[in-house]
Amino acid sequence: MMNVKRVISAIERDYILNNLKKDKRIDGRDLWEYRDFHINVDVVKSAEGSADVTLGDTRIISGLKYEVGEPFPDTPDEGVCTMMAELLPLASPLFEGGPPNEQSIELARVIDRGIRHADCIQTKKLCIRENKAVYILFLDMFVMNYGGNMIDCGGVSCLATLISAHVPEGVFNDENELIWTGKYLNGKHIVNELPFVITFGKIDDIIFMDPNLTEELLSDGSISISVTENKITSIQKSGSATFSIDEIKMLCEKSIEIGKKLRKELDLWQYLIQKA
Amino acid sequence: MPLIIKDEYPKKLFREDGKRLDGRDKHELRPIKMEVGVIKNADGSAYLEWGNNKIFAAVYGPRDVHPHHLAKSDRGILRIFYRMATYSVFERKRPAPGRREKEISMVISDCLEPVLFLELYPGTSFEVFIEVIDADGGTRCAGTTVAALALADAGIPMRSLVTSVALGKIDGEIVVDLSGIEDKAGQADLPCAITWFNDQLSLLQFDGDMTLEEMNKCLDLAPDILKRIYEMQLNALKEKYLKIREEVNKSEEIATEGGEQ
Amino acid sequence: MENDEDESQDIDDFEEIVESAKEIVVPGETLTEDVNNFIPGRGAIFNRNKTKIISLSIGLKQVRKNYINVIPLRGFYTPRAGDKVLGIVVDKNPVKYRLDINAKDEGILKPKNTMKKERGRFIRGAGGRKPQQQDMAPSSTEVYQIGDVLILKVLSADRLNSPELTTVGKYLGKKMGGTIISIGPYSIPRIIGRGGSMIKMLKNLTKCNIFVTQNGRIWLKGENIESERLLIEAIEKITNEAHTMGLTDRIQEFLESEKKKRGID
Repeated sequence: MMNVKRVISAIERDYILNNLKKDKRIDGRDLWEYRDFHINVDVVKSAEGSADVTLGDTRIISGLKYEVGEPFPDTPDEGVCTMMAELLPLASPLFEGGPPNEQSIELARVIDRGIRHADCIQTKKLCIRENKAVYILFLDMFVMNYGGNMIDCGGVSCLATLISAHVPEGVFNDENELIWTGKYLNGKHIVNELPFVITFGKIDDIIFMDPNLTEELLSDGSISISVTENKITSIQKSGSATFSIDEIKMLCEKSIEIGKKLRKELDLWQYLIQKA
Repeated sequence: MPLIIKDEYPKKLFREDGKRLDGRDKHELRPIKMEVGVIKNADGSAYLEWGNNKIFAAVYGPRDVHPHHLAKSDRGILRIFYRMATYSVFERKRPAPGRREKEISMVISDCLEPVLFLELYPGTSFEVFIEVIDADGGTRCAGTTVAALALADAGIPMRSLVTSVALGKIDGEIVVDLSGIEDKAGQADLPCAITWFNDQLSLLQFDGDMTLEEMNKCLDLAPDILKRIYEMQLNALKEKYLKIREEVNKSEEIATEGGEQ
Repeated sequence: MENDEDESQDIDDFEEIVESAKEIVVPGETLTEDVNNFIPGRGAIFNRNKTKIISLSIGLKQVRKNYINVIPLRGFYTPRAGDKVLGIVVDKNPVKYRLDINAKDEGILKPKNTMKKERGRFIRGAGGRKPQQQDMAPSSTEVYQIGDVLILKVLSADRLNSPELTTVGKYLGKKMGGTIISIGPYSIPRIIGRGGSMIKMLKNLTKCNIFVTQNGRIWLKGENIESERLLIEAIEKITNEAHTMGLTDRIQEFLESEKKKRGID
């Protein structure tokens, strides 16, 4: 209740900073530790896939809808996946209604880039007929409670949504009409690689991962690194913080290591839904 | 070419055995689950599952009014923002709020205003955000019900709770709590809400066609149905506290038992 | 150091209420239909036809003599004159500071209310001296910075105007070090406990300094982050279980067993 304040007091800032310097955080974590993830999939019956993911106090519910449309001319045999994020004013007194702002666009863009460059979505399998009909997937994230680090939470929620997807399968019959086979494309058809995005905050010269709300509001900036099993697929530095080259190298290495651990712990493939 | 599987309406809305398509009797409600205190940042919040409808509501206030010109110097204002998630409906909804959402927001706001003491909070606003995550008919009624719960959870003084339900006519029969398909393929839909401090209707809309007798029958039926949902609201609000109390008692029992052994 | 024992007297004895009032009521719920023998007290009103007394909010029903009260379990903070509050300076201009005091309006602190008035120091005639700058109340807002945490008293508050605050008084003024947490203002009496019993116990067992204010904010400072974290967890437990009986004993047990588990002395 009313814990979210626009101006954070000087003593809270000093308190968090002094403890970070001693490798200690107010919620009991060490600097390189995630808060707990909780994942529920297929929570929205109207959607073709959905996930309700919480990371600490941050909660994002995302859902998948589809349309069949024409492919882009330069990729005639590839489906399309677009992402959108909305920071609902219900989620925090810091969020205001209205058209998407920088923060929500950044959230969607960072996750989108991580997924796009990791060969996560098998776009070629989302093609029904070359040059004519492909699936257009809409992956929309709605932030239900803002407790810091929406990017990592959103990233997991997008992956869980795609894995739990069940999109009706369409084919062209002999008369060149699109018909539905009654079968569904599931996560195995859509998802190939699982890129995890890992965010680090920076206050003064201290770097730590998965900032909670107060830490995020106090941060000078942050860096989000998307990783697959052994590759880096996107990096986004945001805020006014600056990072040294050595720091970036260290963070890239850390990200791969943490990504591996997270991949094992979350075991997202367990959320695959086989729909007859 | 936006090709999507066609949403086909069934010819009949009753099964052979006289039950409705989802197996309900004419005056039976869908399963309802309510919970308060689900959004930590909000001053008050509630979550409702009503059949396939899944709705969150959060209350913030009393707080400053933005934009400032909406503020009234002699009283507070209640602002409702009813929104549907893009994926909550069959065909993806556009992200920007549509005319329907704005109208429903206004209807719910008018419905809830009589229970609040807005004159006590001049120059401020109470904002209620209703987010429909999954929709299957009757979301304005479910939204009103869950918004009242969230207001009560915020500890805002209220004359009473508000409860809402839709009645209607399908295949010539009066039924309660229309599902999405019944709403679309049925003949009439009558969403209504009651303010319990005076037992009067505070939300009322009607679409379709009904004879005078049918309308009377609907209106006579409404209080009983609303009462059923009201009991659930009372339980949901108290549940949060009773559960903790129960857990505490249980842990104490274990502790004393352990001491005796 | 700071102690709230004197403050606990002006707050209702919540412990007693919880022991005597067990029934949880919600807005609009009938408290009694016996309108001849009972009068609505705090948190209750007559219904329109005066045939029953109903509750205004979610809370605990309490009968005291012929009054029926509802002690709220949830709600927002409404400033009252005399309240001690913890505020954060969010804005200032040459004539006043604005503070976030967890209420719908920001509190106003004028420079004249940041320093004791010293009357009669200046004696006319021989031996007297001209008033020096430091004897006067500061005329501008240079004492506090944006982000400072202050303990203040509410001088005046009404529905229409921003509450006016002062830092002149016992225990009031700027807080250094430590951190602050927020809880629901209606849980504050339980943090203090009967005659300050809960807060004393919290202080003794966690060795933290605690200052609790009526707007639902708590300042705390301990020897290390482990004991502060334990204290915060205990406070969360108290707010969650505010409506249950035997809370002080249970919290004591919790703190003692957790201290052992975590190796805090």
